[in-house]
Amino acid sequence: MFTDESLDALGVESLWRKSQQFAQESRGCQTRPVHTAEAEIQPLLNADNGTQTDPQDHLIYQLPPKGELRPESPGLRDFLHRVEDMVLKELASNAKSHAFDGFDVNWEDQNETVSCIHCLQHPSAQEKGLQVTSISWSCTGSVIACAFGRVDDGDWSTEKSCVCTWNLDRRGLNPKRPDMIIDVARPVMSLSFHPSQPSLIAGGLYSGEVVVWDTNRTQDLILAQTGMSTDTHREPVYQVAWVPGPRRGEMVVLSAGSGGRVLLWTVDSDEGRLVLSAGFALIRQQVPHNSALSKNRGSSNVGVTSLALSPWDLDTFLVGSESGLVLKCSFSAQTLAAAPPDGESVTLRAPAQFSFSPRGGPVHSLHCSPFHRNLFVSVGTDGLAHLHSLLQPDPLLSLRVSDSYVFGVRWSPTRPLLFAAATGQGLVQIFDLGRKSLRPAATLDQLTGGQPVYCLEFNPRRKDLLAVGNADGSVNIWHLSTELTEQGPRETAKLEQLANEVAE
Amino acid sequence: MAEVEETLKRIQTHKGVIGTIVVNAEGIPIRTTLDNSTTVQYAGLLHQLTMKARSTVRDLDPQNDLTFLRIRPKKHEIMVAPDKEYLLIVIQNPSE
Repeated sequence: MFTDESLDALGVESLWRKSQQFAQESRGCQTRPVHTAEAEIQPLLNADNGTQTDPQDHLIYQLPPKGELRPESPGLRDFLHRVEDMVLKELASNAKSHAFDGFDVNWEDQNETVSCIHCLQHPSAQEKGLQVTSISWSCTGSVIACAFGRVDDGDWSTEKSCVCTWNLDRRGLNPKRPDMIIDVARPVMSLSFHPSQPSLIAGGLYSGEVVVWDTNRTQDLILAQTGMSTDTHREPVYQVAWVPGPRRGEMVVLSAGSGGRVLLWTVDSDEGRLVLSAGFALIRQQVPHNSALSKNRGSSNVGVTSLALSPWDLDTFLVGSESGLVLKCSFSAQTLAAAPPDGESVTLRAPAQFSFSPRGGPVHSLHCSPFHRNLFVSVGTDGLAHLHSLLQPDPLLSLRVSDSYVFGVRWSPTRPLLFAAATGQGLVQIFDLGRKSLRPAATLDQLTGGQPVYCLEFNPRRKDLLAVGNADGSVNIWHLSTELTEQGPRETAKLEQLANEVAE
Repeated sequence: MAEVEETLKRIQTHKGVIGTIVVNAEGIPIRTTLDNSTTVQYAGLLHQLTMKARSTVRDLDPQNDLTFLRIRPKKHEIMVAPDKEYLLIVIQNPSE
């Protein structure tokens, strides 16, 4: 009955749905093949080159060298042609002109009088009766230092003394109270400030030691000292000075004493010592002298009481001795001294090259003129000031300064013809060589009651100040008049004329 | 060349002349009879002063111009002869 049957599926086609597929066409394209080609190049030769600017060798301008090969500047000849006549005419008329004779311009206030502006004292030193042996201005011109000691004591002195400084530019200047007091165990005979560092002072003591103090320090003011060794002087050191050392910018201390030794010390501030670097010994037999001197007997050492450095020639220095000799010496002398070696660490040399005519007593002070390279003035116990030329033994001029001893002399730093001398009667005589008469141009009375004046110094910066140290322990600061400080016309020429005169 | 030296020599050997300097328009010395440092100092300072003097003269009267400049310090006299390209400085010590 029932059987399985499979029937075919029946399909009905859609009338409205059509195939969306339209006619399809395919196209393709491609570029034509690209041409490529490879090529290589390589240089056969190599060369390197570089440029760089050179550093400029000389930044300061140098003048073109003189000589025939100088490049001729165009138009120089024509220019000189044009101006030559006019210039020569003016030069000629100028040489003859009297238009400006006696014509003077006052740029600054004229000071007519000389007055003592300060009288500096140290009361405790004055009580002990100490005298001012040496004064020195600092290089800035505002600090004055004075050394106390004794000049009239013949005995070996162990007295304590001091070095006092005053700053004159300070507002609260108290003349009775020094700004700084340095106590020293021995009398100080000479003092010198360092020429460029305003805090260093070198001092020479009566015992022969040389000390350098540094006023910048607060504790121990001694920067360096020689101590008592075999190198030091055995006699009082009458003069200390700072001289340029072998290396540039370095200064060494020069000390000269009555033992006849002139020694040069380098400052070793690390160790606090002064190390002897060179030494000279003045022995009587080695002094070039006139025959008149050779008759003297006595100690063969020539005791040095004064020393002067020449500002013109760094090699020359002048020495004045206890017996009246004035010698011209040289730092570079090579002859060995005839002194027996005394355990010194350097060999001593004999520096004397020329001796001038001797004086009758110790030469207390010498000073070279800052305006003429050949002139110097010397004073001693015979009361005369001798003006010498370095070129001849006899003095050019002798001036009577006083009837007693003369202890110090200094040329004025501003007027070529002026110098000042300190006498044993308590006066400072100022001489003007331009005047006709030989009497002093000015006399400054120190009001010390006739006690001697031992030292004087002009202020290196302020040209109208003069400091004078007296035996009563006071230092007077004088303010000089304009007449004594302003340079007049033709003073240098007159000085030149004086220097060229030959003594009879 | 020799003429230049001769002319300068004539000026230098005149009575009382201390030194002679020739300065070019930029203030650089080209001939001198003094030492280096003094020359450079004189040249620089006087060149400036001459320019100032010239401008003063021309300000006062534009038709005028500076022909010569003389400065008289206490110690000597300085004479400057100006020009467009150069400056001649002569230092003389008068009435010696």
